[in-house]
Amino acid sequence: MKITDACVYPYPCGDSSVRRMALEAKALGFDRLVAADTPSGESYGVEIYSGILIRETAVKDLASRIKRERNNAAVVSVQAGDNGFNRSVLNHKGVHILRGLHSSDKNAFDHVTAKIAADNRVAIDLDLSPLISGRGYSRQRVMHRYRDILVLERRYEFPITISSHARSILDMRAVREIAGLSSLIGMDTHDVEMAFFGVDIITTPPDPAVKVIL
Amino acid sequence: MSTRPPTLREKRRYLLVHIDPPGTIIDQKDLHYTISDATTSLWGDVVAAVITSAVVASEGQYFIIRCRRGTEQDLSVALSTITTCCGIPIALRMVAASGTINTLREKIQSLKTPDLKANPPRECTFDKKLFQINQCNGQKIDVIEKGFKNTNRLFLTREDLEEL
Repeated sequence: MKITDACVYPYPCGDSSVRRMALEAKALGFDRLVAADTPSGESYGVEIYSGILIRETAVKDLASRIKRERNNAAVVSVQAGDNGFNRSVLNHKGVHILRGLHSSDKNAFDHVTAKIAADNRVAIDLDLSPLISGRGYSRQRVMHRYRDILVLERRYEFPITISSHARSILDMRAVREIAGLSSLIGMDTHDVEMAFFGVDIITTPPDPAVKVIL
Repeated sequence: MSTRPPTLREKRRYLLVHIDPPGTIIDQKDLHYTISDATTSLWGDVVAAVITSAVVASEGQYFIIRCRRGTEQDLSVALSTITTCCGIPIALRMVAASGTINTLREKIQSLKTPDLKANPPRECTFDKKLFQINQCNGQKIDVIEKGFKNTNRLFLTREDLEEL
């Protein structure tokens, strides 16, 4: 299990190269980064997973897009929409992470979608950037949404990932700082650990229900 | 006013933080107000009053921040929510915590890197654009695009430049 930042945006989306982000991530205590639109590899001892973010796509186009990306062995994440869209996304094979629930409407993620996420092993991403850069009501709203998601997570046990959504090395935070920020939304040390290992959980195939012992 | 005996004094802790990106010049007072704003915004006036943070010393990129003992964790969470100071994008990286300023001063001496300003300004190309090297420290290279427009800072490594 490796400590993973589930989403960063290196150059040209951000102002830091993927190597520089890897160098910084190593200093901050990470073992792996999921970098958007970047080929997979390793840099300065930090594993880099290619990340594909699908957003503003109609459900009918989603299947073809996911099929196209499945061959690239990338971590596929989809930007959350309304409840119906999220249910259909979570039922698609090949989707790893559902992102951006903090900015979708409040009924976008309920107990039914939580159950589907748990059954299909799709992770729900907690983007920490609104907690870091937000102030006042906008931050309070995000905290409330994340607390609500965590209530469902404790009941249905779907995977959780934590991401900084850093576009610069200045937006990246140390593992200890992320643990501190996560405590604001009621996550204890064990929850944070499991969230750091969330990418491992969704990318490794599940244990077979029946084991053949010879 | 006479000084209080040690048992009646407020117990304090000191945090050593490093400012990124290197070469950023931040005034001690400005940083104090930024920290105070971040603490109040995150924890509210009541907890901010308990933390009683203050920037007590600075040495180059390193700053020593005082707080009340037992509130280090709250202060470090508040520090991680700081993204700008006087409009300059920064990141505060916590290095160490101690009960005395002296220990942190010794820590600074052990961490200090040679002054990089001595290097003459050099130019490089990245992504078919001309850049001026602003900071160079080991593998890390910070560059600024040449020209009047879009003079944003890019954070690269030596390998990024050698590859091109």
